[in-house]
Amino acid sequence: MNARRRELFGLVLAGLIASVALATVTLARDAEISPDVVTWGALFLGLYVVAHVVIRRTAPNADGALLPLTAVLTAFGVTTIYRLDPGDGGRQAVWIAAGVAALAGTLLWFRHDYRVLESYRYLFGVGAVALLLLPSLPGLGETVNGARLWVDLGVIQFQPGELAKICLILFLAGYLREKRESLARGQLKDVGPLLAIWGAAMLVIVVTNDLGSALLNFGIFLAMLYVATGRALFVAAGLTLFLGGAAVLYNAIGHVQDRVTIWLQPWTDEPVYCSLTGELALRQDCASYQLVKSLYSIANGGFGGTGLGQGTFTSVDGSQLIPYLRTDFIFSAIAQELGLVGAAAVLLVFMLFVVRGMRVALQADDGFSKLLAAGLTFGFALQTFIIVGGVLRVVPLTGITLPFVSYGGTSIVANFVLLALLLLVSNRANEPR
Amino acid sequence: MTSLALETDETLLIGKIAFLVLLYLFILYVVRSATKGMAQAPQESIVLGAAEANALRAQHGLAPARLLVLASTELGRGRTIEVAAPTVVGRDAASGIRLEHDEFVSARHARIEPRPEGAMVDDLGSTNGTFVNGTKLERAQLAKVGDVIRIGATELQVQA
Repeated sequence: MNARRRELFGLVLAGLIASVALATVTLARDAEISPDVVTWGALFLGLYVVAHVVIRRTAPNADGALLPLTAVLTAFGVTTIYRLDPGDGGRQAVWIAAGVAALAGTLLWFRHDYRVLESYRYLFGVGAVALLLLPSLPGLGETVNGARLWVDLGVIQFQPGELAKICLILFLAGYLREKRESLARGQLKDVGPLLAIWGAAMLVIVVTNDLGSALLNFGIFLAMLYVATGRALFVAAGLTLFLGGAAVLYNAIGHVQDRVTIWLQPWTDEPVYCSLTGELALRQDCASYQLVKSLYSIANGGFGGTGLGQGTFTSVDGSQLIPYLRTDFIFSAIAQELGLVGAAAVLLVFMLFVVRGMRVALQADDGFSKLLAAGLTFGFALQTFIIVGGVLRVVPLTGITLPFVSYGGTSIVANFVLLALLLLVSNRANEPR
Repeated sequence: MTSLALETDETLLIGKIAFLVLLYLFILYVVRSATKGMAQAPQESIVLGAAEANALRAQHGLAPARLLVLASTELGRGRTIEVAAPTVVGRDAASGIRLEHDEFVSARHARIEPRPEGAMVDDLGSTNGTFVNGTKLERAQLAKVGDVIRIGATELQVQA
């Protein structure tokens, strides 16, 4: 029960962090601390205490740091979103509650043995591909910002990519567990699935224009393949194939070219053709507008940041400076208001989550659990890298959410399911035998 | 009015610093608790569970570890014991290497597993401890060729 006590204490700290953040935000806005802060802080803590109680019941031996780390990440997200738009902040809070419900549901459902999931591996494989291709179906998909990522079912809209990631990891954990040995011996016939998945990753890029999710899913595949076989050669071959394919696509697809150009040369001295308006304009006023404004935002934060609630996100006339600030670019909002110190802290929290996740993989006792935990953790890490790296101009920017922080229901719920699976693996690994 | 604004500014600064201090305290707290319990279950493979690793080892014919009995109340000095799979040493009847009459040996005292370089020795929470070359084990340790494992009154030397 030691882990559970540490978890509860960590949650109290997280609740305190969330309350101080919210208090500062309301103080900066209204010049007084809103009394509602106490209510919201208590609700936030109460929500996570519910999760804590469910874990005590269903996974008493699970790692005690993962839930507090998640709580701090969601606290960052919800306060930053609230600061940008109080209405969205409220909706994000509802999504976090839905996420905790999904966590509790997953834990209760699989409390006896989550390893039954292994027998449905092919179902998850088919499901992952179907989910990835769903947005490109006519009548269902919606194009946002040049990529088809959304599914509109009339009543609800959701981003299937987030769920596809978890399905893919479940499939790979089961599949690689089964084929590990023959793959490790390097038999030629087993390269087939490798090529099939490479083809699928390329297909996803072509059909959906979604570079981020193709990179993420292919990265997860290579990492799990490496974990399963211990052969760096597979990773090298996979990367070569991916880069080769990407190079061909680069020449064939304008969207991919745009992304690379924006990344390498966001500023121009002379007007260039702007595909958005069809006229000549400086690139920083056109294609790379969003990225450049985000870089200015981060630079404005400096070392210590402007302070919560005091950053500049709107121009003089009140219009939003950075499009997609609440989702893809939330890291640049955090970096402005908390500065290098705060942005580093956010990355540290992500890093600790990854450390704990990999530790779960090390402790697990069977191949499926190890691959599952390693895959989920690596996916979480790579997704964070892709979006933070994109916002900081380390890699080409592709729209993808920052786990637990970005605004968005599907992302929050999917990541809570990911957390539940990690907790289940961890619980089983630590069960006294 | 100016004094009020100044007050707000100062409170905001305090709020910011308090937030960052709390945040780093939280990080420190998680890091500190992360190092606890890290010693359990040292494993050589991230993919294979302990049981699977052993099955594979047996399947690929890893040479068993050979242990020469240097001293023992009941094993017979000069005898060589072969350990092909993970083996529990203890007073228990179910032990692979049974030391029934040594009262300094616990029921399930230690586990010895064959390794290419020698034998992996792990104490299973014994009362009197397991020693490799006279040093009490805090965690599983690899005993190389020539090293001496002591369990109760029994001393075993790892052979090539």
